[in-house]
Amino acid sequence: MSMIAFLGAIESGLLYALVALGIYLSFRVLEFPDLTVDGSFPLGAAVSATFIVSGWNPWLATAFAMIAGACAGMVTGWLNVQLKILHLLASILTMIALYSINLRIMGRPNIALLGETTLLTPVEKAGDGWGIPFYISTPLAFVVVVIVCSVLLIRFLNSETGLAMRATGANPRMARAQGVKTGWMILTGMALSNALVALAGSLFAQSQGSADVTMGVGVIVIGLASVIGGEALISPTSVLKAVLACIAGAILYRLAIAFALNLDVLGLKAQDLNLVTSILVMIAIVLPRYRFRKSR
Amino acid sequence: MISLSDVEVTFGVNTPLETQALRGVSLNIREGEFVTVIGSNGAGKSSLLNALSGEVSISSGRIEIDNCDVTRLDTSRRAGLVARIFQDPLAGSCEFLSIEENLALADARGRRRSFRSALNEQRKQPYRDYLSRLNLGLEHRLQDKMGLLSGGQRQAVSLLMATLQPSKILLLDEHTAALDPKTSQFVLQLTRQIIDEKKLTALMVTHSMKQALEVGTRTIMLHRGRIIFDIQGPQREGLKVSDLLELFSNTQGEQLDEDALLLG
Repeated sequence: MSMIAFLGAIESGLLYALVALGIYLSFRVLEFPDLTVDGSFPLGAAVSATFIVSGWNPWLATAFAMIAGACAGMVTGWLNVQLKILHLLASILTMIALYSINLRIMGRPNIALLGETTLLTPVEKAGDGWGIPFYISTPLAFVVVVIVCSVLLIRFLNSETGLAMRATGANPRMARAQGVKTGWMILTGMALSNALVALAGSLFAQSQGSADVTMGVGVIVIGLASVIGGEALISPTSVLKAVLACIAGAILYRLAIAFALNLDVLGLKAQDLNLVTSILVMIAIVLPRYRFRKSR
Repeated sequence: MISLSDVEVTFGVNTPLETQALRGVSLNIREGEFVTVIGSNGAGKSSLLNALSGEVSISSGRIEIDNCDVTRLDTSRRAGLVARIFQDPLAGSCEFLSIEENLALADARGRRRSFRSALNEQRKQPYRDYLSRLNLGLEHRLQDKMGLLSGGQRQAVSLLMATLQPSKILLLDEHTAALDPKTSQFVLQLTRQIIDEKKLTALMVTHSMKQALEVGTRTIMLHRGRIIFDIQGPQREGLKVSDLLELFSNTQGEQLDEDALLLG
């Protein structure tokens, strides 16, 4: 594998680490199996790409993407909390609706961002100044993003409100008896989770140079693979370890995929990605059962 | 003071399974009273507790806690007034959170939760002191997950959690029933100690008539959704289980099914 392919895998691994953090928040903290992410990932891309090509500041465009993602998460949460629709179904409904909404936002199936000023333009310029090529400066910028998001998430989950959110997922009856408004906690958690995923989608579009309505397909499975795989590596006994597990899981997953696609012996092609992902998730779920008892 | 006036609870309204769990219960509990509640299965004991905590909404009547009408408030909004311990030792705490996190969670009952860190050394010290009175060594295990504790230990910690913050009433839902006799005795003893010490108002549901008479200052018996007797003060002193059974057959004109309640 070439150096560029390796760094490319690290780069997308860092972005999927953000997705994994979002999925950790919904699947693990709130115990809310949320498939909205397949829609909020391209939503983040669509919103920021649309604003960027209309000449808006890329920082604002990215912020709007996160807000849009948060709204999508709130819709799923609201369908579940207020309308009492089964969580899985509620998230599928939002995901499907987002497909149309994303097309509406962009007005066409994809938007190219080549030549536009994105968040990464100053990063590349600064890199050029120091003689660092873009394929190194971009992942470095993403490392900063992942660190900032992780620190904020860890601080939040260890706060009084975050503790209430963790109790909401683990034992809602007890949480209510302790005065936790569990409905609000689900809405807030889903908003945060999908804002993170939309941020990943937005950065993905800006680094790839385009937003595409189909770019969300399978994001949930990749994110879940990262979370579950990470947990198999680092036992998530605290919030810090759980977050580290998500990041390690996402990066290793992307590296593993890159290696697999690079091995000519296996005969795998890019289109086999989703099949490989599904099989990896299955192995990651089943394997720990035979190794050690699941703990959290 | 806690007051229930003419409280009715009906499940499955307008269905063939419609059942009235409480049929017009009125009860005034004065501050500092420790009421024990007995009754056979389906008498309405749990419904009474759930109506007080807000877990079931009542179909008619009125509930006031400290002169504040809470009839329409849900569980989380009443949490500042009502503390509760469940029958199932697993229900009252989060197994995936550590002991200290569970205590911190309960410590914020009834007040706004901030975005500041839930735990720091200054906060942990009172938890350690409080845990040490259990003599279970839990003060050295603050970071252990709650799921590692035994049922009795979890129930003891639940008791501490429920009494960390003041409440207007402490609801105990057969909280010793799922424990072995020795542990059950330990948790009951601890309950009495804490209630005495903090001068709490409490309502305890129990299956054991003997326990209902031994513990507390007042005993009520529920039968088919109504309070059939309410004994307190001198009338209650020296009362035995056999007296209760007699009282029951006199008021109801029927024999109490002995299997329905633990007489011991």
